Amino acid sequence: MSASSPNSTHANEDNTNHLAIEVENLTVSYGPVPALLDVSLAIPVGQLVGVIGPNGSGKSTLIKAILGFVRPDFGTVRLFGEPADKAKGRVAYVPQRGSVDWDFPITVREVALMGRYGHRAWWRDLKAEDYRLADEALEMVRMSDFASRQIGQLSGGQQQRVFMARAMAQGADILLLDEPFAGVDAATERAILDVLERTKAAGRTLVVVHHDLTTAQEYFDSLVLLKQRLFAFGPPEAVLHPELLCEVYEGALRVFAELQKQEGAD
Amino acid sequence: MSNLYEWFVELHRQNPHLLKALLAGTLVSCVCGVIGCFIILRRTAFLADAIAHSMLAGVVCGYLFMKLLFNVAASAPAMLIGSLLAGVVTVAMVGFVSRFSRIKEDTVIGIMYTGVFAFGGVLLSLFSRHVHIDLVHFLTGQLLAVQESDLWMMAFVSAGVLAVVLLFFRQLQLVSFDPVMAASIGIPVLLLDYVLTTCTSLVVVAGVNVVGVILVVGLLIIPAGTAYLLCDRLGRMLWVSALFGFTSFLAGYLLSERINVAPGSAVVVASAFQFLVVFCVAPRYGLFADWLRRRRAVPQQLVEDVLGCVLRAPGTRVAVSTIETHVKGSVDRIHRALRSLERQELLQIDGNDVTFTDEGRREARRLLRAHRLWESYLEHLGTPPEQLHDRAHQLEHVHDEAAVDYLDDKLGHPTHDPHGKPIPEDFVHLVSGEKVTAALLRAGHSGVITHLDNAAGQLPLQLGMNVKMGPRDTAANLWQVILPNGESLSLDHDVVDAITVRLDA
Repeated sequence: MSASSPNSTHANEDNTNHLAIEVENLTVSYGPVPALLDVSLAIPVGQLVGVIGPNGSGKSTLIKAILGFVRPDFGTVRLFGEPADKAKGRVAYVPQRGSVDWDFPITVREVALMGRYGHRAWWRDLKAEDYRLADEALEMVRMSDFASRQIGQLSGGQQQRVFMARAMAQGADILLLDEPFAGVDAATERAILDVLERTKAAGRTLVVVHHDLTTAQEYFDSLVLLKQRLFAFGPPEAVLHPELLCEVYEGALRVFAELQKQEGAD
Repeated sequence: MSNLYEWFVELHRQNPHLLKALLAGTLVSCVCGVIGCFIILRRTAFLADAIAHSMLAGVVCGYLFMKLLFNVAASAPAMLIGSLLAGVVTVAMVGFVSRFSRIKEDTVIGIMYTGVFAFGGVLLSLFSRHVHIDLVHFLTGQLLAVQESDLWMMAFVSAGVLAVVLLFFRQLQLVSFDPVMAASIGIPVLLLDYVLTTCTSLVVVAGVNVVGVILVVGLLIIPAGTAYLLCDRLGRMLWVSALFGFTSFLAGYLLSERINVAPGSAVVVASAFQFLVVFCVAPRYGLFADWLRRRRAVPQQLVEDVLGCVLRAPGTRVAVSTIETHVKGSVDRIHRALRSLERQELLQIDGNDVTFTDEGRREARRLLRAHRLWESYLEHLGTPPEQLHDRAHQLEHVHDEAAVDYLDDKLGHPTHDPHGKPIPEDFVHLVSGEKVTAALLRAGHSGVITHLDNAAGQLPLQLGMNVKMGPRDTAANLWQVILPNGESLSLDHDVVDAITVRLDA
């Protein structure tokens, strides 16, 4: 697959049309130690990509860089072949559940509607079309019945879906999700995965920061294994190579024991 | 009521200057309520307090500037601009210091605002010959001495702040709720932060005239907090908060005229009282509503006790009266538990008879399994027999699937509890066609071997072999595995765990 080799983007210009995200030689630092060093990868349109790596390995920084939030020391991010700042409206960010104030006086529909704010100048009112798109997005994640609920009165999975709806109302083709599976139960995890897959089926590209190696193989089309540098990028079975994981996760061997046990049971 | 009205009209006819106070208070309290919403949602109440205090330095500097350079005393615009600058500078310094040092923001705010306030105090006493500012008025407000110029200032401030909130409502909402997304769609987050800070400073300057520096934070956040208990939408919260600001002002103002107390304090007391009332009676987030919810809620423990009672009773139909006698709890609560179980479609209630639905029987068996496994576990730990039942009764409410599976495995998958009663099998995993470890199987189960671990390597078993389970040797805890040729193997827990089978129908 072309995605596993970042250099192929130079060789094959035709391919550019099918690439959602191209990161080239990206280096980002907050001090003398870089958070990301010389990371290059190209993600084709319509993929569900997991970003894995130990704590502090630069997963969030990669997401921020794609969002255009951090200024890279070196390197470029291109979205659909354009420089990242020109494609701003095409990327949406779904925050980590822990970072949202769930007591905020706002309803499900109002959150979805926020996805439309970027499409209207500040002095203009939202149009009927905006309300329609927000409602459609809620319909898509099956949250229409909860439209007038305050967001704190939802279950974890429903809360995640509301923010997915917002991203879709934004009209974004690339969705960046920060640990959507953190702290949810198994049933919710399935429900969220279902939404991710349906979003993918609608032709969108999803990049998901993920912490659970045991489910990574099952959930994603391809994986990015990061620890400051890009250690591997490609299909899960290639990335979840025990030796590679050992190198990246160093002492945390428990995880692999579990992983291998699971593989054995299959 | 009409008495009060007449008194009110008469009061203002006789004291026209009070009309100014009424108008000033109304304007300021409403606009304070609106900005207060953003302050509490962004958790910057302490910062607002800091802005209020820093004003003293700003007012004195503004006064001195005009007095010394242009010999104009008490220039209102200069003092206003001075206050604004002082507020913005304080906020900027707080931001700067907390970013570049390890000191947390609340500490930095404390340092900056007391520092700036005290600096104002020093200036005031140093230049006391030139500056004529009444410190007491400044601290406690001067509602009854509001000048026409103050009133104009308040009108402009109110109009300006309300215009900003109305025009930038979406942006302010988004920045307060999710600054990351706001930035990602190109909203200037930092600029809006400063817009809100400036609005806060303006409103504080106006509010200080009414209730004084010390209490202005109350005027800002109490009505907003009150509205927050009632509203689930920001738009509605803004005007409800403005309304609460107005009512608290009106109540405090009337109180102060009626019984002659300091108006500033009376307004804030009225506001706090209003908050307490709403805190008690708010329909969703109030104390009373919460109490009612708790009272109405049926405790999970009672629900589970009822299910257990129905399962243990002989026969399929159980009379409601039987449940009442066997389950601990008031009759009223038991009835509520029954109704709740009926709603969840776990029980069918037909007049006086109670029967399980399929789902209900399953749930009850799950609980029974948990109870008996807990009993076995407690016995295993050496709990005296007379305590077994009661302690297991408490513990059976810990019936999370993984926890129960752990107990089951640790105890060697017992088939009977210490009282000799059968423990329901692990029906969650024992579903025909599923792959399970052979240790879960009970007598009569059969399946095809799909996997063999090393521990079972020496046995005459092969993948694909169909095996049947004989009765368990409970004394030695040995599993009897019957091979297709009729031969029988006695295996211990470790070995039988090494065998995975696909369960037959």
